[in-house]
Amino acid sequence: MAYLSGYQYYENAGAVPEDENWGSYQYVSLTDVVNNFMLIYQGNHELVNNINRYQVLFHAKRAIQELNYDAFKEIKALELNVCDDLRFVLPPDFVNWVRLSLFKNGMLYPLTENIQANSAESYLQDNNCNILFDQSGNILQPEHSLLDTERLAGTARTMYLNNDSIYNGSEGYNIDGQWYFDFQIGARYGLNTETANVNPTFRLDKAAGVINFSSGMAGEQCVLEYISDGMNRQPFTGTGSKGDPYVPNPSDVGVKVHKFFEEFIYAYIKYTILNSRFGIQEYVVRRAQKDKSALLRNAKIRISNLHPARLLMNMRGQNKLIK
Amino acid sequence: MINSVRNTVLAICNKNNYGYISPSDFNLFGQQAQMDMFEDYFYQYNYQINKVNAHTTGSSYANLAENLLEVIDSFSVYEALVNNPPATNNYSLPAIIIGNTGDFYYINRLQFKNLDIEKVSESKLLNLTNSLLTAPTEEWPAYIVRGNTATIYPDTIAGAGVVFCQYIRYPLAPKWTYSTLTNGEPVFNHTSADYQDFELPLSDEPMLTTKILQYAGISIRETEVVNTMNTMEANENQQEQ
Repeated sequence: MAYLSGYQYYENAGAVPEDENWGSYQYVSLTDVVNNFMLIYQGNHELVNNINRYQVLFHAKRAIQELNYDAFKEIKALELNVCDDLRFVLPPDFVNWVRLSLFKNGMLYPLTENIQANSAESYLQDNNCNILFDQSGNILQPEHSLLDTERLAGTARTMYLNNDSIYNGSEGYNIDGQWYFDFQIGARYGLNTETANVNPTFRLDKAAGVINFSSGMAGEQCVLEYISDGMNRQPFTGTGSKGDPYVPNPSDVGVKVHKFFEEFIYAYIKYTILNSRFGIQEYVVRRAQKDKSALLRNAKIRISNLHPARLLMNMRGQNKLIK
Repeated sequence: MINSVRNTVLAICNKNNYGYISPSDFNLFGQQAQMDMFEDYFYQYNYQINKVNAHTTGSSYANLAENLLEVIDSFSVYEALVNNPPATNNYSLPAIIIGNTGDFYYINRLQFKNLDIEKVSESKLLNLTNSLLTAPTEEWPAYIVRGNTATIYPDTIAGAGVVFCQYIRYPLAPKWTYSTLTNGEPVFNHTSADYQDFELPLSDEPMLTTKILQYAGISIRETEVVNTMNTMEANENQQEQ
């Protein structure tokens, strides 16, 4: 049964943004989850009693975070231009990456994660390789390490078979009138398929909060597909009045969970509360744990949306040996 | 009910003008007895909840927990809290309500818009406000109590008429009033401005009488009355369980 009128759903009742309610019926809000739990699963005659709402809120948010990491399959995408610094600053709600692609000529080219370091810090040293310090005893550092300097200048070489390949520009040989430069003269047995990719490479620097690219990405469009934790954090607006602690004010408006996982969230909250409480019989905890696990399994199957029509195209190729 | 109780008390106590209870004494004993029974309602309610959870109670008319809840709810009050000082997130807890009552007995909940404001212990406040996941917001507000003041978080919740309170108040102090004396006896007058009946249900009249008689028995140094009433009270409690 719809909970919004058609006008509210399609046009947000004339308010902005118009698409505010599109698809909203798939989800249940965090507010609803906490409110329903406090109403139905907490009370004088329930297993969970005398619990603070903030504890329920905490466990509900943790459940939503965990679901966002691997069960929801709700992948966000952000496209940015990579400038000469060959750097992509991670989005504010970034938790982990799924795929990076180069968007060029109307096509998405998946990028390969470099298995080698492509960025490093460096210390200044004298001719005898002694590290240099300032008056306060702090180590002196250059702006960029040599590794970074060469990468930014486009002179660094890579083991990948792209424009920065160590074979690119090396001496070649001529066979039947065709020059080959991409391989060194001499025997070569097979191909290292792990590094056999023509696209630029990248490496995630988690601590610095950036993705560093090889020089081939300079001036190119990059699409980052990533997952978040579903918390929709807003900027802090708390002021903290005199004598009172600073109160951050992130808004939970928009934090939601797919309806397939609603029952799991209740089971998860119930289990985590019972599991951490003193004096709860072990069989009660185990029952709650089994309940939670079974519901997660069911929800994952549901959200994977397996049905014959979707499998059909894949199954059509089942007899083709080389795809 | 108050006149009936007083008449019964006097009928039991007053013999040969020995055990006469004056109106002012009766009002004092009545207040004590009513407060005693009011407090006991919460213990009884908790006891009955445990019985329900142990599946040793019936439903419908036998659901004593529900009956007790009805009595407790008859003392429920809902009103806006007063901002003090103005335009801050501090609100005075209800102190004076109609009549001659003193105070709230139990704050059940504070409300902001259509949301409950959760009470938290001050010892947990900093943990709560410093946690990204549980920090109070306008969707999940919280409050602490310092003295007679509730401080609401976040501090954006401020000003008059935005915070409401539902609480259980103490019962009003009973007052048996009279206007004239006939044959030296005060004549009951329930139209007096300061008249106040007992607020407990009519079914509590026997117990109220018993308790008042206990106080009256002590007052007139009549051990027999005290002992008898103690025994009656114990028997009644035993039966009600």
